[in-house]
Amino acid sequence: MLEARLEQANLLKKVVDAIKDLVQDCNFDCNDSGIALQAMDNSHVALVSMMLKSESFSPFRCDRNIALGINLTSLTKVLRAAQNEDILTLKAEDAPDVVNLVFESAESDRISEYDIKLMDIDQEHLGIPETEYAATISMPSAEFQRICRDLMALSESVSIECSKEGVKFACQGDIGSGSVTLRSHTNVDKPEMNVEIDLTEPVSLTFSLKYLVGFCKASSLSGQVKLCLSNEVPLLVEYALANNSYLRFYLAPKIGDEE
Amino acid sequence: MARTRSKPAAKVSKEIITPETTAPATLPPSAANPLRLFVLPKDTSRDARIVTLSHPATATPTRYYFCPEKGFYEFTKIAAPRSSPRSWLLAPPRSHKADGPSKSAVEDTASVDKGYITKSADLFIATPLDILFLLLPALAPKSTAKEHQKQLFLSLDDHLDTLTANSPHLKHLLRTPKLKARIAKRMQSVSDIVDAGDEKMYRLSSPKLVAALLQRAERMAANGLPASMEEKFVCSALDVPVLDLPREDSGVNVSESSEATDSQSQTTAVATPTEDSQTTVKSETTDATSTTSVSPPVIAAPEGIPHLLRLRTALSLLLSLIPPTLHASINAALVAPIVDFTPLNAHLAHLASLRQKSAALRSVSDNISRKRTLDEDADEQAEIRAEKRRKKEEDEKKKKAESRSLKQLKKVDTSGMKKLSSFFAAKPAVKK
Repeated sequence: MLEARLEQANLLKKVVDAIKDLVQDCNFDCNDSGIALQAMDNSHVALVSMMLKSESFSPFRCDRNIALGINLTSLTKVLRAAQNEDILTLKAEDAPDVVNLVFESAESDRISEYDIKLMDIDQEHLGIPETEYAATISMPSAEFQRICRDLMALSESVSIECSKEGVKFACQGDIGSGSVTLRSHTNVDKPEMNVEIDLTEPVSLTFSLKYLVGFCKASSLSGQVKLCLSNEVPLLVEYALANNSYLRFYLAPKIGDEE
Repeated sequence: MARTRSKPAAKVSKEIITPETTAPATLPPSAANPLRLFVLPKDTSRDARIVTLSHPATATPTRYYFCPEKGFYEFTKIAAPRSSPRSWLLAPPRSHKADGPSKSAVEDTASVDKGYITKSADLFIATPLDILFLLLPALAPKSTAKEHQKQLFLSLDDHLDTLTANSPHLKHLLRTPKLKARIAKRMQSVSDIVDAGDEKMYRLSSPKLVAALLQRAERMAANGLPASMEEKFVCSALDVPVLDLPREDSGVNVSESSEATDSQSQTTAVATPTEDSQTTVKSETTDATSTTSVSPPVIAAPEGIPHLLRLRTALSLLLSLIPPTLHASINAALVAPIVDFTPLNAHLAHLASLRQKSAALRSVSDNISRKRTLDEDADEQAEIRAEKRRKKEEDEKKKKAESRSLKQLKKVDTSGMKKLSSFFAAKPAVKK
């Protein structure tokens, strides 16, 4: 029996919105510590890992480990019926055929209830070790989104060079080339505008912009985004959520093929 | 069966016997007790009767035809097969009219003068039965348990008393002195005898009985069994399976196939009607073996086998007339010195193994035959096609369900990007 009550349906709406363009179907693994999700895109070069800790819900009850195989397109359709401020309750039996979503309007006494049919999804789970990255960059998520969008106009891929000077996003396309450089920056009034660069060694990696733009759909979830890079290792893009919950994206770097 | 009264005729072998309650001549709906058709032996005495005695093997009351002169006859019912129902049309016998009806037949001719139709086309044929078989129940031990004890010598009358207890009709028949003398004679042939004063005492002797049975069986087998029985019990049993597949090991092949042709030619020779004397059949088979066999045949004496099989079939038929308590001792006595069935057993075992082999080969050859494989291929291909179509449809459905951004993500150039599974090891699947 699973029963998870979210004070704001908004959170789930945004999370699903951010994932649904990367993955079609995925398992929501529910256990007593919360609801977790891990899925790869069709090409298996990007991975999304979500963790909604039980503390994010009030209350949260999960007697047994349940995997809810959900088609994200269907989930999006149902979530569209929820207002951002609605109280959302997820319910499922121990061996469920459906997941039940209840939206309660805070202002009026409107209660809407939806069942989504579940599916059996055979997914491989990857074990992702805790890694010490060579470079960790924190920046406003809006800034990251803007950089990706701007560079996308010129090229399909971006090289991220991290040095003592700062972090340089550069690209080269048919019409020309472009680059954005960020330096460490602390804004006392607006801490969410801070740019922090934590560097142990210089890093230069190339990534597909299309994927990065996709990741940026999660920008509304969090004011800050953390990019973690090491040479020859997938990039980690993390959106931290309240109560230690997070939404993380991993993307394999482009190696050799410099274009 | 209705109680019938026999009216044997002196001359004709075919005789119509009417039950006492004959239907009147006017068209009756259908007689409850219709006439039955019997084929009775010729030249029986006037006192011949149909009597009810207990069957020697099963002890159930059974009808027998008894003539004081000729002895006992048993009835065999010959019925039309159920698939093709038939009836008898009995026409008035012309000879009777010419001669004038005999006194005893007046009643019969009255009913059959205008013709008579019986619904069931059954025909009862009386065939001679050795008194010996009727006597055996009295001579045999009552149960197999007592067999080991010494049987007592008993007088003829004592033996007959046990018989008449079960078959009251026999008591009346025994009044004719001729029958009693004949019984005594037959009993002597299978019993040990001691003289007790002026009376003779009898006790069943197993060796004598076996010898008598064997002699009878030999006689049955000597001219070959009736054609239908020959076909069923001998030919089919000795039929060598056709081994149609070419085999790799030619060494074994030659001897086996030659042997197969041997026994086949043999069985065909045997299957010819019984007017062929046994000796000619034998010579034929020996000819066949000598001409066809390349190497000496594996089985030692195939020419003796059919005879042995016939003998055994005859014996098994005789055993059906013998009380079951005696079967074990008789079967035990039928060993080497009297009659040796071992070559027959060996040959039958060999044939069984050949049959098994051919069955196995046939199933194998069925599997590899061209037609079958083609069929299977077609089936399989159809299945594969259906599977492909199903998959394609499913994929199409999935594709339509895909969101636009997912489709666009597919177009992304991922060259030079390694799969994430090359960075992160797959977690062992955790059972949820």
